[in-house]
Amino acid sequence: MMRLPTRPAIWPPLLILLALAATFVFWSSGFDFDYVIPKRLARLAAIVTGGVCVAFSSILFQTIAGNRILTPAVMGYEAVYLLLQALLILAMGTQALVVVSQINNFFLSIAFMLAYSWAIHRWLLRDRKNNVYFLLLLGLVLSMVIGTFTQFVQLRISPGEFSILQGYSYTSFNRAQPMQLLYSGLLVAAACVWAWKTLPVLDVLSLGRDQATSLGVSYRRYVQFYLSLIALLVAVSTSLLGPTAFMGIFVANITYALAGSVRHRITLPLGCAIAIAIFLLAQLLVEHVFNYKTTVSILVNLVCGAYFLALMVRKQGRA
Amino acid sequence: MITVNNIHKNYGSKSVLSEVSVQFPKGQVTSLIGPNGAGKSTLLMLIARLLEPSQGEILLGEQSIAGMRTSDYARQVATLRQSPDFNLRLTVEELVAFGRFPYSRGALTPDDHRAINDAIAFLSLEPLRRTYIDELSGGQRQMAFLAMTVAQQTQVLLLDEPLNNLDMKHAVQIMRALRRLCDEQGRTVILVVHDINFAANYSDHIVAMKDGRLAFSGPVAEVVTEPRLQALYELDFDIVRNARGCLCNYFNPSGELA
Repeated sequence: MMRLPTRPAIWPPLLILLALAATFVFWSSGFDFDYVIPKRLARLAAIVTGGVCVAFSSILFQTIAGNRILTPAVMGYEAVYLLLQALLILAMGTQALVVVSQINNFFLSIAFMLAYSWAIHRWLLRDRKNNVYFLLLLGLVLSMVIGTFTQFVQLRISPGEFSILQGYSYTSFNRAQPMQLLYSGLLVAAACVWAWKTLPVLDVLSLGRDQATSLGVSYRRYVQFYLSLIALLVAVSTSLLGPTAFMGIFVANITYALAGSVRHRITLPLGCAIAIAIFLLAQLLVEHVFNYKTTVSILVNLVCGAYFLALMVRKQGRA
Repeated sequence: MITVNNIHKNYGSKSVLSEVSVQFPKGQVTSLIGPNGAGKSTLLMLIARLLEPSQGEILLGEQSIAGMRTSDYARQVATLRQSPDFNLRLTVEELVAFGRFPYSRGALTPDDHRAINDAIAFLSLEPLRRTYIDELSGGQRQMAFLAMTVAQQTQVLLLDEPLNNLDMKHAVQIMRALRRLCDEQGRTVILVVHDINFAANYSDHIVAMKDGRLAFSGPVAEVVTEPRLQALYELDFDIVRNARGCLCNYFNPSGELA
């Protein structure tokens, strides 16, 4: 059995990440500092912000749920986002793009998703029930119900409007505007600093509700705190990049496999590095190999899915 | 001393504990015994504050436990439930270090390191110190979790079926460790145990539950008797005492089982 040193090597992942980022920014850019490179830097910022959101939210979520095959996507946040976009287009047609500016849409989406998260927590925790599994089940059912509503709305709009709506349902790094990036970056940074301050609590929570309580962690309070953080992170990443669906599962599990530890001091930064690297690779392939003939979501799911399967098969073989 | 005053616990309309009043003496090993579904674990979880009573109160010393802060309570009472079955990629040392969380909230001080080393040495886990707990056998893993609870350095230890799924040797090791915690360090140990022989040979005090009520309680010598056990378990008991302790034989009861 491989023994990993207690102090993890931070340089290899960091160097790989920097190399990838440099490739992304400069590859066949013609060193055009007026147009190409600023555009790419904006996309890089979106990738970094989104990657951090995906990694933090899914790892935090899996720790709280005590389950390795869940992601916040099952809680219905992305479904709420898509429903909001569909409703906006239904109400105002393509005018929606003009009437509701992109930055307003961004904040509106975040507010909508936070309100959704607040409502289900309120409703659930009202009668002192604090069952994470019940929360999950409810989220899953709600996301299906909301998805059906969205489909219903889609039937009412014109094909032209539908194609705009469809654009929202794919992960994309081109959507983000500079102001939007700035606000997202600030929100995400604040959320991460907050989570980072309570790292030891997170480690204790991974022992489960009973053991954590017995070690003096106010379980209820912290679960509510982390669920709000997760809601914020998912809201930011969804309104910035669109739905990322199962990316979170891949990122979290690849992280656990590579980290060889469940300490959040190690898994959270490594998870961020992995998420950013996957996004960068997918975007590089889309831009330079496939010439925009495929989308990031498809590539991410393909690459992550294949790697994840390989990981599972190899583990099975060893056990 | 832990005093349980007229505790009731209901789930909806179903009552799992009713009118339970009992005392757990300080500095002794107390075993909670009784048939399945008698409410032993529920009572233990109420003392651990992992459940809240529907009625009644529990006192630690003179103080009601309901009003105490979770972080303060964790420095007085440590609880070990059956160790989780999911794979935690942690070394034994890292796991034991969690026992110091109530004191240091994650930033370990020299005192914490001393407590961790003591707990590891106490349970003879030194050779396994850097082994990952998902590579340990069930017995070793239980010892590692017990070490975490020991490192918490609380006056009271609560253990929910610590012998579950252990082979005989590991079960004896765990019970001896609990006995030493009590004798050498003066700690109060309360455990739920199914094996009446471990309860009779290793504890000072017995609390017996049946159908959500207290059946009887008292020092081992007084309450481990054939009529009492027969009534409790509805089995025919034959108690043999010799120099090595006592053996409660119920394996071949005479007559039909009810």
